[in-house]
Amino acid sequence: MPLVEQKEETAADIQGLRLKFPGAADLLFRDLSVKILRGEKVLLLGPSGCGKSTLLQVLGGMIPRVTEVPMKAARLEVPESVGFVFQDPETQFCMPHVDEELAFVLENLAVPVQEMRPRIEAALRQVGLNLPDAHIPIGNLSQGMKQRLALASALLLEPETLLLDEPSALLDPEGRRTIWEAVRNVSDRRTIVIVEHRIEEVIDWVDRVIVFQADGSLVADGPAESIFRRHRNQLREYGIWYPEAWSDAYAPITESKSPALADPIEDQADCPNSSAPRLESELQPLLRLEQFSVLRGGKEACRVDSAIVLPGDLIAVTGPNGAGKSSLLLGLMGLLPRRGLCRYGEYLPEGRRAEREAAAKHMAFVFQNPEFQFVTNRVLDEVSFTLRSEAEHNLQQERRGGSARIGWPFVRRGRLTAEDEGKIERRALEFLHRFGLADYAERHPYLLSLGQKRRLSVASAVVSAKPLLLLDEPTFGQDARNTFAMLNLCEELRASGHAVLMITHETEIAQRLATRVWRVENGKLVDDRSTARSCTDGTRLVMGDADETFF
Amino acid sequence: MKRFFEPDRKTWLHRSNPALKLAVFVGLFVWTVLTHRIDASFYLACLFLLLLFFASGYPLWKTALLASGFALAFASASVTMILFGKGSEIWWSWGPVSISKESFYRGLHLGFRSIAFGCQGLLFVLTTTSTGLFYALMQRVRLSPKYAYSFMASIRLLPMALEELRIRRDALAVRGAGGKKGASRLLQMPELYALPLLAQSIRRAQRTAAAMEVKRFDAGRRRTYYYDSPVTKYDAGAFLVMLAAVLAAALLAQNLPIFELGDMRMNP
Amino acid sequence: MSAKGSPAASRRKGLTLTDVLVTVVVSLVLGVVYHVWASVSSIAGLLFIQSDELVYGMWFAASTLAFLLIRKPGVALIAEIAAAHLEIAFGSAYGIQLLLYSVLQGLAAELIFAAFRYRNTSAVVAGLAGVAAAAGSLLADIYYGYVTEYATWVIVLKYSLRAISSFVIAGWLMYGLAKLLERAGVTQSLRPVDRKEYDALDG
Ligand SMILES: Nc1ncnc2c1ncn2[C@@H]1O[C@H](COP(=O)(O)OP(=O)(O)OP(=O)(O)O)[C@@H](O)[C@H]1O
Ligand SMILES: Nc1ncnc2c1ncn2[C@@H]1O[C@H](COP(=O)(O)OP(=O)(O)OP(=O)(O)O)[C@@H](O)[C@H]1O
Ligand SMILES: [Mg+2]
Ligand SMILES: [Mg+2]
Repeated sequence: MPLVEQKEETAADIQGLRLKFPGAADLLFRDLSVKILRGEKVLLLGPSGCGKSTLLQVLGGMIPRVTEVPMKAARLEVPESVGFVFQDPETQFCMPHVDEELAFVLENLAVPVQEMRPRIEAALRQVGLNLPDAHIPIGNLSQGMKQRLALASALLLEPETLLLDEPSALLDPEGRRTIWEAVRNVSDRRTIVIVEHRIEEVIDWVDRVIVFQADGSLVADGPAESIFRRHRNQLREYGIWYPEAWSDAYAPITESKSPALADPIEDQADCPNSSAPRLESELQPLLRLEQFSVLRGGKEACRVDSAIVLPGDLIAVTGPNGAGKSSLLLGLMGLLPRRGLCRYGEYLPEGRRAEREAAAKHMAFVFQNPEFQFVTNRVLDEVSFTLRSEAEHNLQQERRGGSARIGWPFVRRGRLTAEDEGKIERRALEFLHRFGLADYAERHPYLLSLGQKRRLSVASAVVSAKPLLLLDEPTFGQDARNTFAMLNLCEELRASGHAVLMITHETEIAQRLATRVWRVENGKLVDDRSTARSCTDGTRLVMGDADETFF
Repeated sequence: MKRFFEPDRKTWLHRSNPALKLAVFVGLFVWTVLTHRIDASFYLACLFLLLLFFASGYPLWKTALLASGFALAFASASVTMILFGKGSEIWWSWGPVSISKESFYRGLHLGFRSIAFGCQGLLFVLTTTSTGLFYALMQRVRLSPKYAYSFMASIRLLPMALEELRIRRDALAVRGAGGKKGASRLLQMPELYALPLLAQSIRRAQRTAAAMEVKRFDAGRRRTYYYDSPVTKYDAGAFLVMLAAVLAAALLAQNLPIFELGDMRMNP
Repeated sequence: MSAKGSPAASRRKGLTLTDVLVTVVVSLVLGVVYHVWASVSSIAGLLFIQSDELVYGMWFAASTLAFLLIRKPGVALIAEIAAAHLEIAFGSAYGIQLLLYSVLQGLAAELIFAAFRYRNTSAVVAGLAGVAAAAGSLLADIYYGYVTEYATWVIVLKYSLRAISSFVIAGWLMYGLAKLLERAGVTQSLRPVDRKEYDALDG
């Protein structure tokens, strides 16, 4: 039971909170009341976009003190001394070097100079960030190290309350374990409020779980154990993570589809499918790598001696932070210099330009940082952009083909008819719907919550029916519903002969869904093993000549 | 990895107090602006070029590379004056262009001065770190920490913005927007690059500012400083060397004049 | 406790840390553009006499853009200084004189905005601020470059071209850019929130 002191003091008390983002159609919170006691460890749980990060900012006093967001409350008592760890490790530092960043906090507290060094060193030890010399540029740290640094600087404030917004989202399992261990080590007598989708590591030691619904209202509030026992069905219905979510969704792997599954994709005209599966050995690989390596700054960032990707494969790429996984995908896309052979079917592009073009033609790609993906100003446009550029491309090809026959000397750029435009828009909307983004169609992509951004970036890539899909951590920061929706989509794509290459730190995906697992360590593909599933499992494909159909 | 702007060795200039050094260099700047004789500006340019090479602590090739920009500065300061300046003793004229003795030497003088300015600026930049400068300004001239930390934070944010430019190009390539070519592509540049780059930088700046305030940054409150910014003998050294350089230029101009011309603002 | 709008509004009177940081970052990004612009300027200079002045207005863009985004006293000046700071820090061959120029240009632009009491954010006012900045640079040029010694027609040509380009680039173009940024929703959190939005809370 909670480690509350004799006298139950409140750490935060919010009554009747109403909050609305400027320009948003609806209130985010309507008369929300939350009370947190001193010393409590609280986990905020809820579907993506329900307002967890926003509430955390209200608790931290950032709204409305630093960012003005229209709000009012009958009672608003927030803790005086808070330490905040933001989700994005990049933007929470203001100084170039590690020691300077930590000293910045101490300067703000007017700590005498002599005391600074020892305290900085103690804080770094506390979070397990062991640096030979603290005066190194922050830019040289890996994701996990940055997240630990953020925690260290929050701790230097000696806050009574610690607010953590998905501090482990991008970490490998080892990094996640250590950062939570660090949090636990400092959790004594402190109030801790955590927002987190991945609950395994925290669930055992939080005192209380507060569950939100998509509309920002409370569903349940109480000790973890009883919440997950009593409200399991509700959690499942709302698509919120709970300990057995994975086994509930994929209990008998091949037999039935999961409950979160939406309608299958309608038109798969460009992908061959039929009913009688063939043998795996007869499939034509979509992608073949030989002595392939990707370079970063002249040095090898990831090396693959030999690997193939078959139609119907779902390959989970795993490995510790900084191993070179993202580099591998960037290399495949031709965005980083590379060496060795990379064949698409039988086609082997020569030269940087051809490589890039071939990559863009055969593969859809999702960046690790969702914001990197966005090229338009509106959520809907983001998805239709892909469709439109594809349709224009096709049209151009067609014209070119046709005109060659007639001998027409000029090829006009393809223009889409109004009918085409309508079709594109409908399809884009349909995809937004599948990804739970239909309500935000008119919004600017940057104004979404983190999980929503992630989904949008995946939606805009998946919508193009390219044979190969490269996803860099598509499920981080997602609630259960959206994670399963995404995975089901991947399953559908597999079934129709696409292949998916997915970087993930989620062991469940590797164990339950992948057909192969690639393990990358120290800039090398060290292990390429097949799992219990094969690439023809649950698929309805019979491939014709893959070369003809795809390339 | 060593970055470009990192000296090989630390000279006395690196060790002097950045705030005082800034004052000395502003003094130098004013002195140079008030130099109106071509002999004096010539010697100033020469002496500061020497100082730049020997006191910056950078390898010769780097200094030379940076100093190569002076050619352009020299040209942009002098060419217009040489070609279009007023003057009575016309040497050559063709259409609107007329080169006179006065304008020619006045142009050269401006060129020499611009080299002197360039050397002084570069010497300051190469021997001062931004962090050091802003810490010194906060402690020595009471610059509000609000500005000082904004500048220091932005130095961290800038490389991210540049990185972003590359990422954007990649994103467009990946998403298949590379098709359009030529003029229509050029016209789209602001929309495709400038706008998102700015928008993203602004957002990032806002988030960083919020993070700083959460770390209890308050410009009004008393604070301590991680880096001390003392006044040392090196400051006296820097001051004396600069003074010596300026005096030497004046003396050389007096005793070893090359052009032997008067004030460049009048007709020399 | 119910009227929560007012404290935030009063806080936003002076320049906050966010305002300063955003101003500095915007100017630094423009400072990078300046670097690129130097070559644009040299190419433009090949057209005809003084034709490089046609693109000169870009050097004043930081002050007008920052003001159009943040709309508070002081940002135009800070923006110019920050942009110059970046150029100097990257080892510009022009040295400390850039600082002098930036102060004069920033102050001149600031004067125009002040004349309209920092309320008017139209393209015309931005253009005027650009022209004022050009006038500020003229002042610096007189001391620094002896421009009064140019043939008279060169002076007139040079500075009228500069004024026009300042009006167009620093004023009109930056106004357009600021509008686009507004559409993208970035400025929303830089400005005081509309009273209407607070009223909607009771709905
Ligand atoms: N600046 C903004 N302007 C308008 N709407 C916003 C803004 N920031 C967030 N929102 C919206 O408010 C809602 C809550 O956002 P918030 O970031 O709090 O969600 P969250 O619960 O943390 O979600 P996630 O789990 O995906 O991080 C979302 O629907 C989001 O689209
Ligand atoms: N922009 C960059 N410039 C230089 N080096 C980089 C850059 N990004 C990453 N690296 C380095 O390249 C190596 C591989 O990085 P990569 O991003 O591929 O790792 P990753 O396996 O994707 O890790 P994570 O799980 O943290 O995303 C790391 O050592 C990293 O420090
Ligand atoms: Mg969130
Ligand atoms: Mg990665």
